[in-house]
Amino acid sequence: MRWLIRSQSLVTLASGMIYPYYLLFLKNLGNSYAKYGLAFAVFTISSAAFSQWLAPRIDHSGHRVLLVSSLGMMLAMLAFPWVESYAWVLLLQLVMGCCSAMQKMSERLLLADHTVQGERGPVIGSYHFWTSAASGFAVILGGYLIDWLTIDALFYASAVMYGISAWAVWKMRKP
Amino acid sequence: MLLLLVILCVYEYIRTDTPDQNPYLITDYSRLHPVKVDRVVKGKEEEQLVRLLQEAKEKHLTVSIAGQRHSQGGHTYYKDGIVIDMTDYNQVLSVDPDQRQIRVQAGATWEKVQKAVNPYHLSVKTMQSQNIFTVGGSISVNAHGRDIRSGSLIGSVDSFRLLTADGQIRSVSREENPELFRLALGGYGLFGMILDVTLNLTEDEAYRMENEAIKVEDYSRYFQENVLGDPDVRMHIARISVAPDRFLTDMYAINYTADSALPLEDYDKLRTREQGVIPSKMMFSLNRSSDWGKNAFWSLQKLYFTKQQNKAISRNNAMRSESEFMEYGQPGANDLLQEYFIPVDQFADFVHGMKDIVRDHKLNLLNITVRYVEEDREAVLSYAQEDMFALVCLFHVPLSEQGQVQVREGIRDLIDEVEYKGGTYYLPYAAYPTVEQFRRAYPGYDDFFRKKDEYDPQHLFMNYFYEQYKGE
Repeated sequence: MRWLIRSQSLVTLASGMIYPYYLLFLKNLGNSYAKYGLAFAVFTISSAAFSQWLAPRIDHSGHRVLLVSSLGMMLAMLAFPWVESYAWVLLLQLVMGCCSAMQKMSERLLLADHTVQGERGPVIGSYHFWTSAASGFAVILGGYLIDWLTIDALFYASAVMYGISAWAVWKMRKP
Repeated sequence: MLLLLVILCVYEYIRTDTPDQNPYLITDYSRLHPVKVDRVVKGKEEEQLVRLLQEAKEKHLTVSIAGQRHSQGGHTYYKDGIVIDMTDYNQVLSVDPDQRQIRVQAGATWEKVQKAVNPYHLSVKTMQSQNIFTVGGSISVNAHGRDIRSGSLIGSVDSFRLLTADGQIRSVSREENPELFRLALGGYGLFGMILDVTLNLTEDEAYRMENEAIKVEDYSRYFQENVLGDPDVRMHIARISVAPDRFLTDMYAINYTADSALPLEDYDKLRTREQGVIPSKMMFSLNRSSDWGKNAFWSLQKLYFTKQQNKAISRNNAMRSESEFMEYGQPGANDLLQEYFIPVDQFADFVHGMKDIVRDHKLNLLNITVRYVEEDREAVLSYAQEDMFALVCLFHVPLSEQGQVQVREGIRDLIDEVEYKGGTYYLPYAAYPTVEQFRRAYPGYDDFFRKKDEYDPQHLFMNYFYEQYKGE
């Protein structure tokens, strides 16, 4: 359980760090909010579609799915600074939508697996606390990092954190 | 844990609670003079712009015209007025390869112009070193750049259409409304809204980049003999060291020499990505923060440019220099430009005099680049009243009132030195100089403001440039 919290705190750290700035980055891509909306729709729709494929398969491979999700996000973060067309942004949004489905579903699954009915409150509370607190730090840190360097540096930093969280998930598999 | 987070938030709030960071106020790249404006409107269509002027007149509001807002003296906004943001008014209207001309809407950036003309192997004659600025904005400041053969921007403007305060759209060129041509070019948005512009172009060429290290004392002679005197050299830029170890003594120059042996097709793909922004920005931060950093930055810069020796580059690519690494957004301080035009033969003397002034006033000088501008007196507010070197100086300054007072004193002393050497200074930047200094540098000022009253008696077009330099 502790490794789950650690790895997922890192994931929220990584995503919390990049997410608000990523929104700004996306908004700057097009002149219209409709175009911005589309990029987000691609994310949520791919996430929804992928969840349907994933649902029957996830029960026995929660860890692996979580690992793949972290690695997928890491690759997406590494790719973003190099993207030069809107179509690529959509493609990455699609990949990230799938990763998000994997992350959210396996996270819930593992939380349920590692807890017992009637005793879930404190675990979920502690899980939520640490992941949210991590997010708070991350977003402040992210602002500093962009001011001092560039938004690209933030994408890379976020990729590093997804990488570490993947390692933490991998570590979790071993007793 | 939570307490720590709360403390962090409070600290952040206090740290960023400066006027230059207030999101509900408008300012420009300088982040000086933030004020509230009536509203910012995106310019979209000609009729809309005409209607906006009409509305402003009826409601007795002022109008300021904004492009990329990289000017630094409040040229693009005015308290309680309407700001018209022209960046969406940016279409390329036509490219005529035979006449070598392009017609673009004023909000188009040079990047857009380059993209449109590059396939025809054409290139802009004169623009700034970076391509991020709008054409309309560049014309309003009569920009200049690395090209040493084409003069300042006014020389490559064929004509433009101007929406004047009376609501009329006038064609303006050297033949039609020639007076407005000389006023609105380098007119800082005070004579009307530039709608679209016809620019004369030149051929895109392949250049070889050559670097040379020189001393400040030898630069004028070097430039006249080896740069201006060699007809194949088309563009030139030099840098003066601000590193304490070689403070205002060492320089290096980059010359872009046309080489007909280089096939243009091999080099004319436009570079769209800035290279190495993260390490450059880190180095520039060091340059900003300490003497040690300045020394290290100068050594690394020299190393970098030595590596560029003999590299080939197309003209269009040479005219899209990196700028992202210099961006600075920290609260309470900023990097601001000042630019001095010094007659070619006075260069070394001026730099020598500058040394003491910068040191005495403890100005944090980050960078000086040197360009050449040919004498050009066409615009009413002309800066190149003879052949000049333009010294573009980047200072790191505090934005607090007290900090600004100190900077202002230092800059005024520098302007005295400029004047003493027969030079002028550039007007798109913070108006630190006094009104008297302005008047001496720009003898056309009287004519300029008189004509402003004539063409725009209600002062519909208004900005802080007018307010600071009109001197009433």
